[in-house]
Amino acid sequence: MLPDATVVRSILSAAGVHDAPAEETSLGLVCRVPASRAPSVLAAMRESELDFRMLADMLGTDTGEDIEITYHLRSLSRDEELYVKTALPYDGDLHSVWNTFPSALLPERETAELFGLKLVGHPNPKRLFTTEGIEPLLRKSVPQRSVEEVRER
Amino acid sequence: MAIDRFTGEHSVAFIRSEQLFDLARRHSLWYLAFGIACCAIEAPMSASGPRFDFDRMGVFFRASPRQADVMIVAGTVNRKMAETVRMLYDQMPEPKWVVAMGACASTGGPFREYPNVVLGVDKVVPVDVYIPGCPPRPESVQYGFIQLQEKIKAQTEERLAARRDGS
Amino acid sequence: MSDPRDLVTDVGLLAEGAHDAGSPPAGIRRAPTGVDGLTTEHLIINMGPQHPSTHGVLRLIVEVDGEEIVAAETSLGYLHRGIEKLAETRRYNQLGTLMDRGDYVSGMHGEQAAALATERLLEVDVPAKGQWIRCLVAELTRIASHLIWYGTFGLDTGAMGQFLYAMRDRESILDILEAISGARMMFNYIRPGGVVADLPAGIDGRIRRFCNGFDAYLDEHHALLGGNEIFQARVQGVGEIDADTALAFGLTGANLRASGFGWDVRRERPYDAYPQLDFDVPVGTTGDAWDRYMVRMEEMRQANRMVRQCVDGMPEGDFTAKVPKVVRPPEGEVYASVESSRGETGVHVVSDGSDTPYRYHYRAPSLFACQVLEEILPGHLIADAVMLIGSLDIMLGETDR
Repeated sequence: MLPDATVVRSILSAAGVHDAPAEETSLGLVCRVPASRAPSVLAAMRESELDFRMLADMLGTDTGEDIEITYHLRSLSRDEELYVKTALPYDGDLHSVWNTFPSALLPERETAELFGLKLVGHPNPKRLFTTEGIEPLLRKSVPQRSVEEVRER
Repeated sequence: MAIDRFTGEHSVAFIRSEQLFDLARRHSLWYLAFGIACCAIEAPMSASGPRFDFDRMGVFFRASPRQADVMIVAGTVNRKMAETVRMLYDQMPEPKWVVAMGACASTGGPFREYPNVVLGVDKVVPVDVYIPGCPPRPESVQYGFIQLQEKIKAQTEERLAARRDGS
Repeated sequence: MSDPRDLVTDVGLLAEGAHDAGSPPAGIRRAPTGVDGLTTEHLIINMGPQHPSTHGVLRLIVEVDGEEIVAAETSLGYLHRGIEKLAETRRYNQLGTLMDRGDYVSGMHGEQAAALATERLLEVDVPAKGQWIRCLVAELTRIASHLIWYGTFGLDTGAMGQFLYAMRDRESILDILEAISGARMMFNYIRPGGVVADLPAGIDGRIRRFCNGFDAYLDEHHALLGGNEIFQARVQGVGEIDADTALAFGLTGANLRASGFGWDVRRERPYDAYPQLDFDVPVGTTGDAWDRYMVRMEEMRQANRMVRQCVDGMPEGDFTAKVPKVVRPPEGEVYASVESSRGETGVHVVSDGSDTPYRYHYRAPSLFACQVLEEILPGHLIADAVMLIGSLDIMLGETDR
């Protein structure tokens, strides 16, 4: 279920990310990479012996200081899961990984729209869920409607 | 109409033509097949299904807004959907009615706190009947339609009374 | 007696060789270059969001060359209600109410995913009876959801009658679920730790009666729709998704298994009582719409088998672990998934130690099915597009969240 951490670290070093933390948490094996390296790291994970051929999920989290993107990789042949996390500044660039994993096409559009990131390298970087002019709704700075606002509808 | 001079107001054999049209209209309300969200499973699907047969009330779905009398707004309306709902309402020919089904279409429902959600479809189109529930049972939807039938009858009676008093 | 065909020579196009004539007879209009010179146009056509067959408010913008689709794009967001943001102000035992409204035809699976995630954060075990009850209602919901898929899939291909047969069987299941949980659709029954109430007395008789009749009904459904040659001609060989494409686009569930990859969350990442249940996982070969149809019909049969096993083997004991109403899980992150009727429904929760989640992400299988729709539609006809949307079993509530 958990891939071998040393193998993961060696793949990361080969992809140019040295001293990357790859630790086991309640989630599973999580490794953090710089944002600019994320597409090459994911490609390396796919081509490696660990055979992470499926991107099961992709999500963003507003940590308060930056936007943390989590890629959930799965290897069906070895039955292992890996989480790759990167950190992006607010209004930063999200580099698309659709060349490696086409299953990121719509999730990237959604993450970029709902967190206010700029999608780079994507064939269709339009808004997905909301109409023009609506703010990035999943950021912590955007509040939900208050009780008074709902009562006065 | 000329024939009205020879007919009594509530006689079965000689009913006024307008009352006849109104009777036909309210017992054959055809709704637009337009399920936005979860309520769509209860109204257009289950209520028209074999157990809660809507067809016995004359209610049946039509795919095109040009052929529909009623629009059942079944589900949450958000800002992107509001433009479409308004467009469909404008395409329906008169006389037309709107039934707001469920809590989301009435006042925003369980999703009222999200900024993207419109607090009730009556901000976009005029609503005739509100059916509460999340989702309302198919029997509630049918009761809502019976209320709509009563409302149409009351509106026609009002119109005829106004004409009688005015003339 | 003159040949009657001589009488026909003056009717213009009907006569043999009439289109070779120098000038058309008076009063007849024809295409300037003749029938063979007709060309088709590239049009951009909008399907939805109000459309009887888009399974919710899916909007498809297709570019067509005559009748054949050249390119397609899905436009989503007509049902974007913010389940993920609203979850940040809900307590952990209220998350089920939001998940119910995501994938609204299989509400129990969503609730199960949210409950599993919370239990993993709390490191709490569900007692045996709670696990078996959860499997029972989950499999009943799977049958109910597949019946809706079956009914609407037939409607997409034009078969309107069998939709009512599917609704008849679904009403029996909803009666049972209403007796167990109190509601027909938004159950709010599975909570972190187990379920909210025990099974009512006498429910096993009702469930057994349903199970005994359902196999015969399923044969009837399959004969009605699958045995219809028109349906077979429309569905077989159309919309093939090979295993590599399915994997690359993140498909899970029946869509992936029809393409030949036998990955089922109940087998690979077992949860609740599934390790103790005996069931087969149907796997297809070519990944066309017919394989997806057959896989789901067989899943209904297997689900019926599991429901019978659950009722026969229901253990005694507590139906829920002792979990406080206001749950404050330790800081951390967790991902939990269940095999819902549409695929792998996953919940990724980030907890900051308070009573509400910090970040709640709902991995919806229909989002990935929408992506693969854009990939497979080019090359098919518009009528096939409608059928393919139905065969992928897309539910817009969970796609738009």
